[in-house]
Amino acid sequence: MNMTPDSTLPGRGPLPVLRFLGLVLLGAAIGGVAALFATGFVRGVLWLNELLLISPRSRMMFDHSGALIAATVAVPALGGLIVGHLHRHIPERRPHTPADAIAAVQTRRGRLPARAGGITALSALISLGAGASVGQYGPLVHLGATLGSLGARLMRLGRSDDNITIACGVAAAIATAFNAPLAGIIFAHEVVLRHYALRAFAPIAAAAIVGHVIATQALDQGALFHVADTAVPQAWEFALFVAIGGFGALLAGAYIHAILGVGRLAGRLPLRPELRPALAGAMLGTLALWVPDILGMGQETLRFATIAGAFGGGELLLVLILKLAATALCLGMGFSGGVLSPALVIGTLFGALCGTLVASIGGAPQETFIFYAVCGMVAVTAPVIGAPLTTLLIVFELTGNYALTTAALASVTLASPIAAQLFGRSLFDIQLHGRGLDLSSGRGRALLMDTPVIDYLTQSCVTLSPGISLDDAITTLARERHSEAYLVDEQGRYHGCVTLAELEAARQEAGARRRIRACVDTKRPTLCPGSTLWEAMALLEEVTGEALAVVDEGVFRGVVYEGHIAHAYLNQSDALRREEHGHG
Amino acid sequence: MASRLIVALLLGLTAWGTAAIAAPLRVLSWGGAYELAQREALFAPFTEQTGLEVEIHQYDGGLEELRRAEAAGETPWDVIDMTRSQAMAACREGLLQPLPRDLPAPAPDGTPAERDFLPGAMGECALTHSIFATVVAYRRDAFPGRRPTRIADLFDQQRFPGPRALQRTPAVNLEWALLSYGVPREELYRLLSTPRGLRLALERLDTLEETRWWEAGDEAPRLLAEGEVVMASGYNGRFFDAVVNRGEPIEILWDAQVQEHEAWAIPRGAPRPDAARDFIRFATTAERLAELARRIPYGPARRSAILQVTTHPDSDLDMRLHMPTHPLNDAGAIVKDEDWYASTRARLDDYFEAWLAGRGCHITVNEPCSPP
Repeated sequence: MNMTPDSTLPGRGPLPVLRFLGLVLLGAAIGGVAALFATGFVRGVLWLNELLLISPRSRMMFDHSGALIAATVAVPALGGLIVGHLHRHIPERRPHTPADAIAAVQTRRGRLPARAGGITALSALISLGAGASVGQYGPLVHLGATLGSLGARLMRLGRSDDNITIACGVAAAIATAFNAPLAGIIFAHEVVLRHYALRAFAPIAAAAIVGHVIATQALDQGALFHVADTAVPQAWEFALFVAIGGFGALLAGAYIHAILGVGRLAGRLPLRPELRPALAGAMLGTLALWVPDILGMGQETLRFATIAGAFGGGELLLVLILKLAATALCLGMGFSGGVLSPALVIGTLFGALCGTLVASIGGAPQETFIFYAVCGMVAVTAPVIGAPLTTLLIVFELTGNYALTTAALASVTLASPIAAQLFGRSLFDIQLHGRGLDLSSGRGRALLMDTPVIDYLTQSCVTLSPGISLDDAITTLARERHSEAYLVDEQGRYHGCVTLAELEAARQEAGARRRIRACVDTKRPTLCPGSTLWEAMALLEEVTGEALAVVDEGVFRGVVYEGHIAHAYLNQSDALRREEHGHG
Repeated sequence: MASRLIVALLLGLTAWGTAAIAAPLRVLSWGGAYELAQREALFAPFTEQTGLEVEIHQYDGGLEELRRAEAAGETPWDVIDMTRSQAMAACREGLLQPLPRDLPAPAPDGTPAERDFLPGAMGECALTHSIFATVVAYRRDAFPGRRPTRIADLFDQQRFPGPRALQRTPAVNLEWALLSYGVPREELYRLLSTPRGLRLALERLDTLEETRWWEAGDEAPRLLAEGEVVMASGYNGRFFDAVVNRGEPIEILWDAQVQEHEAWAIPRGAPRPDAARDFIRFATTAERLAELARRIPYGPARRSAILQVTTHPDSDLDMRLHMPTHPLNDAGAIVKDEDWYASTRARLDDYFEAWLAGRGCHITVNEPCSPP
C-alpha cells in the first residue's frame, strides 16, 4: 500500500488526515451525547406532562373535574414563576435560543456559554412540562449547540472547528427529535453554518447518524404525520399548493411579528420581568379551560388536523388563531421554548382549513386532505425557521412519500421567497437584527460588523500641539517618517489632522512662522471606540490618507492605519475561505 | 431421581389435599371453548393430583357481580380468571387479595419466576397466565376475490359489504375506529383521551350499518358460522376453535389485534384462599401453561412454557403459528393501555352506552356523560 502523500495536492499528509478523522470521531461523540440529552429532554417533557395533568391522557385519567380546572390554570402559572426566576441567573435575563447559536457561528465567536445553555434547557423543560404553548426543537437545538461548543472547548479546538462541533450538536438534536438524520444534516448547514464545506459535512453527518440510531432505539413515537400511500393529487391541485405557500408566508409573518410584538408590549408592562411568564401561564391556563388544544406542544392537535373532518371549518380557524395568540403570549412574555412545534401546529391547521375550504367549494377529494395540511405546515414553518430544505426533508423522511414531498415543494417554493422579501430570512435573523447583528448580507459583512476597530488601535503616530508652527510641524513629521499628524491639545482633545503635503503648501503661501491651525483638515471623519471594521471600511471609500483617528467623546485615543484595516479584512476573508472551501 | 422426587411430592400433595377438603374449589371463568381447554389442561389434572374437585362457574367479565358479592360478604368463588385490566381495577377497589411474590413455581430449569414470566405479568393481586387477543375475523366466502388486510377494512362496507358483529363494550371498538383514520398505534390512547378523538371514534362506529352487539364470548364465532354477519370481533381462541374443531370457513385478520393479559386472581372474601393459591401455583407451571396453549391458542405468559408448546392434541396443528404473540401475527398488535382503562372505564361505558342508545353525549372527558 502506497501511503506517500501526493505532493501535487496540498494538505494531504497523514497528519491532516488523522486530524480530520479525529474531528469526525469527535462529531460522532458529540452527536451521541447530544442525542442522549435530547432523548432525556423529550422523555422528561412527556413525564412532566403526565405528572402535571397537561397531557390529554393524564387529564382523561384524572377523575376530579374541579381539581383539574384548578390544575389547568395553576400549573402553567407556577411553571412560569419558576421559569421567570431561573432566567434571572442568565446574564442577558432571557432564555437563549437557536439565534444565539447562529450568532456564535456566524460571527466566528464560537463558544456558547455552558451555564446559560444549561439554565435555558432547564427552563425550557419546565416551560414545556408545565404546558406552555412553546416548541421543544428550539431548546434541543440550542442544547445540542451548547454541548458541541463544550466539546470543542474540552478538546481545545480552534474557531472553525468549534463552529463544526456546534453544527454537529444541532444536527444530532434534530436527527434525534424528528428521527430524521438527513433533515438534521441539512438544518445544521441551512440555518446554523449557512455554507457548505466538505470539511464540516463529514462530522455533521456522523453526528446525525449517531443521533438517528439512538432515536430509533430509545424514543418510541409515531411519525409526525401519517399518509395512506394510495392518494395522488390532481394536477390542478398543485396550483392550490403553491397558493397555500403564498398565504402561508403571510401567516408566518403574522406569527413572527406576533411573538416580537408581545415581547415589546411585555417590556412596557408594569410587572417585574420574572413575573411575566407566570401571568402568561395563568392566562394560557384559563383559555385552555375552553380550548385545551392550545396547551403544550399540541401534538394531538397536529395529528387531528391531518384527519379530514376532525375539525369543523370554524373550529379550525378558532384553534389556529388561539394557538398563534397563545404561542406569542408565552414566548413574548418570557417562557423558554422554541417556535417550531407551534408553527407546525399552526401551519397544519391552516393547511387543513384550506383543504376544508377547497372541499366545500370545489369538492376536492378527501384522500388528498393530508396534502393540504402538510403544504400549510411547510408554508408556515419554513419561513419561520428560515429552512425550506429542512422542512421538505422532514416531510420526506417522516413519510417516505414522494408525492407528498413534491406537493410540499410546490408550497415552499412561494412561501420562502415571499416571507424573506417581506419579513426577513427567519425569526432568528430578525431577532439578531434587533440585537445589532445583521446577517442579511451574509457572513463576511456580519463578521466585519462584529469586529471592533479598537482591536487595531495604535498610538504609534505623530501628534502635534495645535499651537505649533508650520516649520516645527514639518520637521517633526519628516523626522518621524510620517506624512500625517494629529492635533491634540494638553487636555488630550482632538482638533483634526494635517498632512505633510498641505503643511508644505501652507508654508509656501504664508511663511514658516504661521501656526498650523490654519491648514487643519477638520472634515476628515473619525472613528469612535465602538466603531466596527465594517464602518471603517465604509469610511475608507471617501477618505484618502494614512490612518483614521479614534476619538472617544472628543478625546484622542490613537489611530487605525488603513493598511491594518485592509489587512484585517483580508485576514477575515481568508479565514472564511479556508473554513468554507477547505476540505481536510 | 428428579422424577421420583416429583412423584413423592405429588403423592404428598394428594394426601394433604384429600385430607383437608370436602367442598370443591370454585373457579369463575369464561365458558365455551376456553373452559373446555382449561378443563383438560388444568382442572382435571388438578383434581387428579389433589383430589380436590373443581366447580366451574361462568361469566362474561365485568366486576359488578364481584362487587355485589363482596359487599354482601358472600363470595361464591375461590379463584377468578379475569383480564388484567379488570384485575387492576378490582385490586384498586380492594376486591382482591394480594398475591405473594413467591406464588408461581420456578421454571423447570430453575429460572426464578420473576425472570421467566413476561414483563408486567406478575401484578399485585393477579398473576397473568396467558396472552389472548381480541381480533377481527371474517367469513372466507363473504368477499369473493378480495380479503380484508387492514383494520380499516372493518369499517369499509363498500368494499366489504355485510353486517358486522362487535362486542358491546367501548374497549377495542374505540381503538379500531380511531385507527381506521390512519393514526399511529403509539398515539392511540393519547388521541382517545381527547373529546375530539372519542367523538371521531364514535362517528366511525356510527357509519357501520347493521351491527350486532355481542356480550358472551361464544356469540361472535356463532354469528359468523351461521352467516348472520360477515365480520366479527372476538377472542382469537374462540375463532380458532370454530375453525379447527368445527371446520367453519373463518379467517382471522391479525392487523390491530388487541393483546390482553388473562390472569388468575383470588377475591378478598374467597372461602378457601389456601386451596386457591395452590391451584394458581399448579395452573401456572410451565408444563400446565404449555398444555393449555396446545388446546387454545393463547400465548403462555412464561418463556419456559412458550418453548414447550407443541401441536394441537386432536388435529396436529402447530399451535405456535396461531398464538397472538407469534412474530407473524403481532406486527400490527396494539398493546392495551390497562392503566388508562382502569381509571376511565366507567366514563367510557357511559359515553358508549349513551351513544348506543342513540342519545349521544356531550363529551367533556372529565365528567360523566351529560345530555347534549
